[in-house]
Amino acid sequence: MSDSGHGQGWLGWLDRRYQITPLIEFLRHKEVPKGPHSMVWYYLGGMTMFFFLVQVVTGVLLLMYYQPGEATAYESIRYLTTKVPFGWLMRSVHCWSAHLMIISLVTHMFSTMMLKAYRPPRELTWVTGYILFALTLGFGFSGYLLPWNKLAFFATSVGTDLVKSVPLIGNWLLQVLRGGPDVTANTLYRFFALHVVILPLAFVSLIGVHLLFVQRQGMAPPLGAKVAPRGMRFFPSFALRDLLLWLVCFMVLLVLAVFVPYGPGIPGMDWELGQKADPLAPAFPGIKPEWYFLWEYQLLKEFPPHLFGLEGPQLCLLVVSLLLGIWAIIPWLDRQAQREQPSPGFSDFGWGAILFLTFLTLKAWDIGAMEPATSGSSLKVISRTCAWWTIGAGAVIIGIRWLLHRHRWFVFTGAALLHVVLHGWLGLPYLVAGVIAAVLAAVGIAMIFLRTAERRVNPGGSR
Amino acid sequence: MRIISSFLCPVLCVSLAAVAADEKPGVIPEKLAGLFAAQGKDGKPTITPEQRTYFDGLNDRLKALLIKTVEAEVITRPEHLGTILALGLRPQKMEILLQDNCILCHTDPEVQKPETLLTLSPAPGKTPSHLNLQDFVDDVHFLRGLSCAGCHGGDPGSDKLEHSFVKEWPSAGRDKDRGWILSFCARCHSDSTFMNRFNPALPTDQLAKYKDSPHGKFLLEARDARAPDCLSCHGVHGIRSAKNPLSKVYRKRVPETCGACHSDAKRMAGLTLSDGSPMPTNQLAEYRASVHGRALLERGDLGAPACNNCHGNHAAMPIGLSSVSQSCSLCHAGNASLFDGSKHKQAFEEHKWPQCAKCHGNHVIAKTHDSMLAAGQESLCNKCHQQYAKDNPECNATATYFYTSLAQMDQVWNEFGVTADRLAMKGLDVDPIHDKLNELADSLKQARSHIHSFSKNDFQRAADPGEKAVLGISRLVEEAKAEYRFRQLGLVTTIALMGLVMLALYVKLRRLER
Repeated sequence: MSDSGHGQGWLGWLDRRYQITPLIEFLRHKEVPKGPHSMVWYYLGGMTMFFFLVQVVTGVLLLMYYQPGEATAYESIRYLTTKVPFGWLMRSVHCWSAHLMIISLVTHMFSTMMLKAYRPPRELTWVTGYILFALTLGFGFSGYLLPWNKLAFFATSVGTDLVKSVPLIGNWLLQVLRGGPDVTANTLYRFFALHVVILPLAFVSLIGVHLLFVQRQGMAPPLGAKVAPRGMRFFPSFALRDLLLWLVCFMVLLVLAVFVPYGPGIPGMDWELGQKADPLAPAFPGIKPEWYFLWEYQLLKEFPPHLFGLEGPQLCLLVVSLLLGIWAIIPWLDRQAQREQPSPGFSDFGWGAILFLTFLTLKAWDIGAMEPATSGSSLKVISRTCAWWTIGAGAVIIGIRWLLHRHRWFVFTGAALLHVVLHGWLGLPYLVAGVIAAVLAAVGIAMIFLRTAERRVNPGGSR
Repeated sequence: MRIISSFLCPVLCVSLAAVAADEKPGVIPEKLAGLFAAQGKDGKPTITPEQRTYFDGLNDRLKALLIKTVEAEVITRPEHLGTILALGLRPQKMEILLQDNCILCHTDPEVQKPETLLTLSPAPGKTPSHLNLQDFVDDVHFLRGLSCAGCHGGDPGSDKLEHSFVKEWPSAGRDKDRGWILSFCARCHSDSTFMNRFNPALPTDQLAKYKDSPHGKFLLEARDARAPDCLSCHGVHGIRSAKNPLSKVYRKRVPETCGACHSDAKRMAGLTLSDGSPMPTNQLAEYRASVHGRALLERGDLGAPACNNCHGNHAAMPIGLSSVSQSCSLCHAGNASLFDGSKHKQAFEEHKWPQCAKCHGNHVIAKTHDSMLAAGQESLCNKCHQQYAKDNPECNATATYFYTSLAQMDQVWNEFGVTADRLAMKGLDVDPIHDKLNELADSLKQARSHIHSFSKNDFQRAADPGEKAVLGISRLVEEAKAEYRFRQLGLVTTIALMGLVMLALYVKLRRLER
């Protein structure tokens, strides 16, 4: 029995039975490092978890009324939002929280990337976070179909169709995913099972592992901190700040849910129930997935039907898998960060990825479209307009990094912007422009490597 | 090993047999092969790959027929063969064509002059428009096996290639008096036994009706060359079923077909209506601008009437009607029935006014609007009643009553429709409001129809459900607005409470860190 002296209070009562003193001591001494950078990045993981908790609570409440099934899913959601007291609020909060969770998660991931918090010994924290991100996208995709409305039905048909492109097992995988050759009630049942049982179990388990890693190793100190950074006590200083932020998030969530109950109305961020799904009705034009899948949707459109003996979607899947694979193993690729040295190349890779995703997403939103949006001239205008916006964003990013952070490494951002210029301004096909930009980026990286190697061999050589 | 070989041998034999069977297409005789191999002046094969593919896809019987035709030297030139193959006919039609020496001879550009050549590319100004080969093979008669000889006579199977005409075919002056065309077509189309073999659903009384129509009298009695005959509306070769969009009498094309004559001032010069007034030529222009014309020609609504729905096809007017002005009742039966039961029926008959057309016009039927009933110069009711019923102020009062009720309901329907959309965007349940709006819309439609009864009581019975719906909508909209206010109040209260909690937390944090 512990004799740490929690006295006769309730803590003492618990301690005598469960020996909680070590836990309390751990919390009492746990600290969050304070570095030269803003502390705000440390709160993003907690914020993401808060949105997940909101999802769990509102999801359970929605579950009390939701009835999966071809004849009941849409009707039950309709009943829930129109007749059940505060049912509209639950659905609205659930939807808003889902989107905010993804925004917060993506920001958390990119901040981890830019601050190199993935460096040893936290590689597995990055990997678990990466898998959590994939599971979150799975939540979004599976939850989208559950209201069984027209848009969700067709978007799921198009979305699941992509798995056909997986070599060898594509068709089998499609059957497994849909529970048959087409999207039917079977698909609804298995998406429901995925959304409320399989994914939550996996997610909660993995969050446990992720948090365990964070607790065991503490939060990552700033890069290159040779002396132990100043610390902030986790409890109560950091925890109370976390709680304050959570309350702010909750307020924002409530305001959005009451004033914008069906989302901002932009493609991929709109959840008005609309009409019930009709599998016999023809698919309508302009079906788009949720905003976080729009980049991939657009990338698929940029690929021709056949290329290098492969089908366009297959090649696209290959490129996407390659990029996502690189993203997953970044902790092992970034040797400089492993040596606690700044790795501007990887920061630049992160910013390049942001510009790459931004351009594709803007294009998928048909920014600058004229009527009809699918005409050749309109597509050119869309590309040009999106190029302007992306170049504007790229200029701001480069400007800030150059002037404020004294960065001098712009190969990836430069390649992303060159890609946008070649495609959007000069009218080259997206893939051709992409290959030119990638080749130039490879040449740029090779030159940097050569120069670095030369300096190592001849440190005092002429500049 | 023995088991495997005993299994494989039969499989191999069957496979080889199948391959051998596949490789046994009919041998192409030398003459036909020569035509396929022929090259034009530019060095390219005259028979295109598409035409060759079509030939390869023909069944054995058709291939044999074509070979026979070539062997008999009915087809001797590659261009001629190309024309036949370029049609891409389905087997049934191709069989008819390959057995018809009339067509085979009249498609040979070397033998025929432009004025007798059936061709896919008619020479402008030389080949008559009715000799378009594509039209000819698309003709409804050709489809049923009736080819050249069916009308013109002769033996299409004879190799003698001579002309002989049926006795009804005038040897001369065919264009001078075209009355012969009627009896020529009627040989078959008035023979119910004959027609039953081809299309039992097709009536056989066209000639009888036509004779009784103004067109028929004009042609057969006045012997005027301007009068239309069968071919004027149905065409010569290339006659298609009225259900075929390419037919001249397809519903969407009827206005254009009728207008070809009736909009031609030169053609209509000197003609008069039954009341002696000159025949107008603006019907097509008026029809195009009318609700019916726009529905049919712009929106493609095949339920909208064309000329023949009111004026009849071959007869002067639709069956069972004594006047064209009654044809509105064929579609607008409810309004017509209300009108027939009203006081206006007798008054209109006394004045010999056409019923619906008096207020709505005939060809230029515009979209109706409630202000037609309103007091003022635009009011239709006022215009007549000032002239014909000055002593009865009740009539104008009734019209004003109709107008006021309809305008109020219409205003509510429009305004609350917008309100419902706004409330829906705020996340409120507007289904009950939409249900009531639908009730209001139904009642509004009924009430608008019931003005044709010209009775306040009848009108009010139709308008009552709408007026009740208006009250219901007002109540539901107020409830929805109150619900939204409650949501806003709830939000403000929650945020205020959370703000207090946050303030307390902040103060606590500051104290702890002091």
